[in-house]
Amino acid sequence: MNGIKQSPWIIHYDASSCNGCDIETLACLTPLFDVERLGVLNTGNPKHADIFLVTGAVNEQSQAVIRNIYHQLPEPKVVVAVGICAASGGIFRECYNISGGVDSVIPVDVYVPGCAARPEAIIDGVVKAIGVLEEKHREMKAIANSLDQVLFHRATKSDAPEILALQKIAYQSEAELYGDDSLPALQQTLEDLVNDFERMPQREGTVLGARGAQDSSVADSDRIIFLKAVVNGKIIGSIRGYAMDGTAYLSRLNVHPYFRRRGIGRRLLDEIEQVFPQVNRFETKTGHQSKRNLYQLAKRGYETFKTEPYTPTIKWVYLQKTQRPAQVKTKGVK
Amino acid sequence: MLIYLVGAPVLGCLLAGWDRRISARMQSRRGPPILQPFYDVLKLWQKENLVVRRSQNFYIFFFFLLVIFTGALFFAGSDLLLVIFALTLAAIFFVLGACKASSPYSFVGAQRELIQMMAYEPMILLTAIGMYMVTRSFYVNEIANHPTLLVLALPGIFLGFLYTLEIKFRKSPFDLSSSHHAHQELVRGMTTEFSGRALALIEIAHWYENVFLLGWVYLFFASSPLLGVTVSLLVFGFVILVDNVFARLKWQTALQSAWVVAAVLGFGNILVLSWLRHP
Repeated sequence: MNGIKQSPWIIHYDASSCNGCDIETLACLTPLFDVERLGVLNTGNPKHADIFLVTGAVNEQSQAVIRNIYHQLPEPKVVVAVGICAASGGIFRECYNISGGVDSVIPVDVYVPGCAARPEAIIDGVVKAIGVLEEKHREMKAIANSLDQVLFHRATKSDAPEILALQKIAYQSEAELYGDDSLPALQQTLEDLVNDFERMPQREGTVLGARGAQDSSVADSDRIIFLKAVVNGKIIGSIRGYAMDGTAYLSRLNVHPYFRRRGIGRRLLDEIEQVFPQVNRFETKTGHQSKRNLYQLAKRGYETFKTEPYTPTIKWVYLQKTQRPAQVKTKGVK
Repeated sequence: MLIYLVGAPVLGCLLAGWDRRISARMQSRRGPPILQPFYDVLKLWQKENLVVRRSQNFYIFFFFLLVIFTGALFFAGSDLLLVIFALTLAAIFFVLGACKASSPYSFVGAQRELIQMMAYEPMILLTAIGMYMVTRSFYVNEIANHPTLLVLALPGIFLGFLYTLEIKFRKSPFDLSSSHHAHQELVRGMTTEFSGRALALIEIAHWYENVFLLGWVYLFFASSPLLGVTVSLLVFGFVILVDNVFARLKWQTALQSAWVVAAVLGFGNILVLSWLRHP
């Protein structure tokens, strides 16, 4: 008994449905179904809620609202997509203003089928969500107790799906920061990410380019390195680096929101600097408003050398570090 | 005292559980388990604590502390006026916390809470004065040991006090500042911006507060303990019934009606009492 299971509070949002699923959702609160006997409350306030229930397909106007509500839910939180429209867009899928199901905006944990979803199915979905909620809570707790057991390994292509899922969750906070979900990290597809394991990035504005590929003294596998931080068999952080002409380009430093501010990002950065013995310059970039990133990078010896507008709201800040880190730690990455 | 500190949250939690169960039955629903409020608080305790400003939780902590302090003073048999002062101070801290969050919803909730305080404060003061007139003491232990049933001399004040109880319990028709029911115009009023442990503290503070208020109801019947306990529980049932029967009032109506009740029932009772004593 930890209370998490007995007291799931719900916030319900209608993205843009025909209202069939909404009516069925509210029907769950009526005397006939009475979900309050399971401790379920309809709160109407994201900051009090545990479960985010979304009905209907997502359109251009509801995207921002969904993201906003999602970010206001305190962890642990679960998202339930109710009805076929919320799952995939349903019959509205082809409409010009529909971006698809709820999972086109935020990560969804439980899908409830039906058109309209029946109250019994919705209650079943909520009960499943309670299971997910408990699981997430257990993870959070296990993590808090096992932070010293974080393992740092090289990631392989088989880790790509998990890294992509992590990346989509981790970059939500950045999307919120800039009010923009067109960040490349959020738009990336699985196929693209798998390719990242083999492909050197094409960078405009840097001296490299085709010349980098001619440097064949080092095997490709040593020039593209993905690292992952693992807790209890789950990837909770990752970073990737590309070495070209004595410079290592580091990108996509992801840490799962549960594990932030515990030094995992810092350790990932340290570890990846260690695995590029052949380079003496590190370069990375971040958005200009990501104060936390900039602060941490500055603390690790990175200096800004260039800023460049990316979109009207985002400016890339390029940082570099020219000295080798002290070779104190040799343990860690295997 | 110790019994209060440990027992009040337990009793308050059970009362809140009964409240939800009885409310559900009144709406022909099955309702949650009696321990539901306990589960809720347990869960809130483990949730992430999102804040707009960190200091908002500081105020809530003092609200929590002062509510306990109020009840502790009361059950230690201290001065009733001091108890009222502490109660007001606690409420002010809650209002400050809600204002600090600077969300329009919690801000309007805080404003309404201030109006509600203006509404119930005169009646609560008159209750203390009425009790003093009968027992010649402001001390709770002396009032409790008074040999006569206070309610016989103070029927008007008792009814007026019931009216303020509706406000203090945050029940319809006076759940203006924050309500337990979803989808009201203020989202959640004062508690909108609180989550996790801060919200749990607010809940526990309400448990303490409710037990303290029912303790005050008991004071009207203190010479007959059994009657006192019965009436306190009946009053709680009455509050639940009213909650389910009435819609919410506008704040103007709430304020006016509370003052009219205080003037007619409260002040009228005291007038009659002083006229009988010194004709």
